[in-house]
Amino acid sequence: MKEIIAIIRPKKIEHTKDALDELGFPSVTAIPVLGRGNQRGIAGELGIDIRPDAVAQGRSAGMKDMKYIPKRLLSLIVCDEDVDEIVEAIIKVNQTDQIGDGKIFICPVDDAIRVRTDEQGDSAIK
Amino acid sequence: MKMIRAIVRPEAADAVTEGLEEAGFFSLTKINVFGRGKQKGITVGATHYDELSKIMIMIVVEDPSVDQVIKLIKYKAYTGNYGDGKIFITNVEKAITVRTGEKGL
Repeated sequence: MKEIIAIIRPKKIEHTKDALDELGFPSVTAIPVLGRGNQRGIAGELGIDIRPDAVAQGRSAGMKDMKYIPKRLLSLIVCDEDVDEIVEAIIKVNQTDQIGDGKIFICPVDDAIRVRTDEQGDSAIK
Repeated sequence: MKMIRAIVRPEAADAVTEGLEEAGFFSLTKINVFGRGKQKGITVGATHYDELSKIMIMIVVEDPSVDQVIKLIKYKAYTGNYGDGKIFITNVEKAITVRTGEKGL
C-alpha cells in the first residue's frame, strides 16, 4: 500500500478529481496548504497581475518574492500496482510547463482500516 | 529520501522557514493544524483549550540532509516550554516533479 501525496495548483483540483474519478479512484483527501518550491516563491504564480513597478518597489525595499504560494495537497492511499497509473494521470492533468506545477511524493503505508466495517489491508481501500 | 513533518508553534514557523532558507532548503509546505500533546491542551483560568493551533511544516529532503534539517528546526523552534512541538520523519520512496515528470527532488 502506498500514499501518493501530490501538491498541485488550486485551480487544477477539479480536473484532477475528474481524471481520478475516470480511473476509478474517487477517494482523496484535499488540504489547502501554503508552500514554496525551488524558486522560493514567485509572484506571478497566482494568476493575478501585480503591477511590475510595485514588484520592483518591493524588491528594492529588500523584500523578496512571495513567502508562500497557496497550493492544494492531495493525499491518496492506493494499492502498490495502481501507483504508476495514478501518478501518470496526475502529471498529465497538471502539466502546464510553467514553474509551480507541483511535486508528487510516494510514501509507504503499513496498514489501512475502514472504520465502518473494521476491514484491514487492501480491502479497506478498494 | 525522507519526509520531515515538524509541528511547531505558529509564532516560530517563520523563524524556522527563514532558518531553512538560509541553509539552502527552500522548498517546503506549511499547513495550519490543530492538536494537543501529552499535556492535554492548556487551561487558562476557568477555560480549558483542548486543541491548540500549530503549524505543520512538511519538507522532503535527501537522506544525508535529514540531521541538519532536524537540528535547525530544533534550534529555531525551541523555547524550553511545553508545546514546542514534535518532529516526525517518514520514508519517501519516490518524488516526481509534475512539470517535467522527472524523478527526484
